[in-house]
Amino acid sequence: MEFSLSEETKMLQSSAEKFCKEKSPSSFVKNMIKDEKGFSAAHWKEMAELGWLGLIYDEKYGGSSGSFFDLFILFEEIGKTQLPSPFLCSAVFAGQLINEDGDENLKKAYLSAVIKGEKILTIGLRNEQGQYDHAAPALEAIETGGGFYAIKGTRILVPYAHVADEVTVCANLKGAKGSGSTLLKVAGKAPGLKKTLLNTLTGEKTFGVVFEDVKVSEKDLVGAIGKGTTYVDKVLPKVITLKCGEMVGGLSKVLNMTVDYVKQRIQFGRPLGALQVVQHYCADIATFLDTSRLIAYQAASLIDIGFPCTKEVAMAKAWCSDAYKKSTQIAQQLHGGIGFTEEHDLHLYYKHAKVSELDLGDSWSHRQKVAEEMGF
Amino acid sequence: MRFTFTEEQNKFRQEVRDFLQAELKAGTFVPKSGGLAEGNNPEFSKKMAQRGWIGLTWPQKYGGQGRNYVEKAILVEELFKVQAPVGYHFLGDRQIGPSIIHFGSEWQKEYFLPRFVKADENMRFCLLFSEPNAGSDLVNVATTATKEGDFYILRGQKVWTSGGHQADYGWLLARTKIDSSVPRHESCSQFIVDMKAPGVTVRPIVNMVGYHTFNEVFLDEVKIDRKFMVGQENDAFKQLMAQMDYERAGMERLLQNYPVYEKLINYVKEMGKTRKGDPFYNWVKDSVAQLEIEFNIGRLLCYYTAWTIDMGRKPTSEAALTKAYCNQYEQRLSDIATKVLGPASQIREGRPWGLYGGEIADCYLWSPSYSLQGGSVEVLKNIVALRRLDLPRK
Repeated sequence: MEFSLSEETKMLQSSAEKFCKEKSPSSFVKNMIKDEKGFSAAHWKEMAELGWLGLIYDEKYGGSSGSFFDLFILFEEIGKTQLPSPFLCSAVFAGQLINEDGDENLKKAYLSAVIKGEKILTIGLRNEQGQYDHAAPALEAIETGGGFYAIKGTRILVPYAHVADEVTVCANLKGAKGSGSTLLKVAGKAPGLKKTLLNTLTGEKTFGVVFEDVKVSEKDLVGAIGKGTTYVDKVLPKVITLKCGEMVGGLSKVLNMTVDYVKQRIQFGRPLGALQVVQHYCADIATFLDTSRLIAYQAASLIDIGFPCTKEVAMAKAWCSDAYKKSTQIAQQLHGGIGFTEEHDLHLYYKHAKVSELDLGDSWSHRQKVAEEMGF
Repeated sequence: MRFTFTEEQNKFRQEVRDFLQAELKAGTFVPKSGGLAEGNNPEFSKKMAQRGWIGLTWPQKYGGQGRNYVEKAILVEELFKVQAPVGYHFLGDRQIGPSIIHFGSEWQKEYFLPRFVKADENMRFCLLFSEPNAGSDLVNVATTATKEGDFYILRGQKVWTSGGHQADYGWLLARTKIDSSVPRHESCSQFIVDMKAPGVTVRPIVNMVGYHTFNEVFLDEVKIDRKFMVGQENDAFKQLMAQMDYERAGMERLLQNYPVYEKLINYVKEMGKTRKGDPFYNWVKDSVAQLEIEFNIGRLLCYYTAWTIDMGRKPTSEAALTKAYCNQYEQRLSDIATKVLGPASQIREGRPWGLYGGEIADCYLWSPSYSLQGGSVEVLKNIVALRRLDLPRK
């Protein structure tokens, strides 16, 4: 047990902190909600140049073979300012699916472009209820002959689909060479692909995507037929853990904002923060932060060293989901009316906490996983 | 950042486990929750002493092992998982010894420390802090220590003195300056009191679990030599804060009911064999998984606090946060356990149809005390708010 960050990690952390603060003040984040694209191409390029997108990829694809824990630290910083970008869906989720499961040709063709930020990938794994259904996908890919397939069905909450060069989906494939849950990549501009911008709690650019007999070929398969579930389950813990990083970052910002506010807000002739009931609420948020950070760092650190950690990842997501959300609820209460305005920044975190809770399995579903791991 | 243990630490843990397994096999004790309250077993303490496990973190020149607090946390984790009977030496090891090391005189160090480390006879301590009008507001103590030549005369009353009836010494907080112009926290001192000295009267208080663990202690003109004053006169609160950190920092705050938790998990596993799909079982799975998450986080907090001490930092707010969190976990555990096991869990020891010898019922009864002893959850949250978050007092 050793809880200090290495010197390299600290350097990365402070440069990421500086970058996010400079590039992503809350005014910028709010503008991006109204912006058609939803993120800055200039930031995206810089993030690639800083080596963020390729941090955990092999050097032969242009990555830096860095540690997963450091990547987690980046996401914690991103979470503090809510810097919007397709980092998680492109360079982590879709990129890792190719990295883990694609053949060498596919990796060579894609990874270096993804790492450079030249290609943006996204993920369409959620059904019309917004649930990840890779174990039994409602999306279908039916062979139409000659090694071609027609994809039919709907995916929702597909982030950054408007700028994605390709959407990676998991479809129930039926064909002569096999069947079952299978990963496929679909060109973002493929005929028959209909995207609808959704207006969600956070206003992040996310889409409903309808596949109307979208034509793909064998070359678009990612990995083996019927192996989709296995592949996705292999990559999911990483994505979930980084999402926890984002949540921990958001939570730390919520604590700082709230403590600052109750120190300067005078009521009853003294700062609100001098009232014991307010102090206890703040101590509760501090406890949510410390506990979330420890359990999430544990998951990130174990993934980093390749230690089996199914249960630890589930514990992290279950806990962080509840802790972040409850903290934003307390923060709203302590900020009073001002926190309920659009002008204030608190709502960015209140919304992010709920959306993060609902994404990648909520606390209940991760507790079910913990129960399974306990032998229940 | 490393969430695994070193090979050396794993080896140490195994050594402790092997010892405890052998003791369990020999019937020295049974793993029953609440063991700390009853586990007064000087022979067991002696065996631990022979292994160097008392004063593990103390400097070698005082007979300690000079090891770090993460290792100490490993030791305490293993001891409390089976509720080893550590009551005889626990207080001396956890906080009296460290306080003497920090603030004691050379004579006190030379006299007490080696005796603690060896688990010598007549070395059990109790804490004489709380009074009828000084609970959470500890600076309000009214017991006085009046200097008369080379002696102090003690007059007053203490309460909630755990183990006072078994203790050889009391660690006392008393007022040494009666002057309303001096801040209350700058007018108290700490003393070591021989519990058998003339004028010391110990009266039992039976708690709501039905046990006699704490007491009232009356000090009626008790005369003690000045060499039993610890540290500087009127400096008690500065010393006390440091001591409280040790009292709050430990793994025992998470593990007072570990045997109950272990039994609960096994019970739920068994239940799954016949009741999968039952809505009640779904609730059980969810609730116990939540406890498991809370337990794991509590454990990380304890190790984090231990590591903070090893880094040479004062763990005041870490220890406060950790204790408040762990206390609340233990209270939820006792509540969930009774609900999972159902109405039969209320049947207490020695009656048919009861479960686990009434341990769950006892555990539920003990649980209100956790968030009161050693600083209430509210006092601990104040510490986090004032010291860590720097919120204003006024």
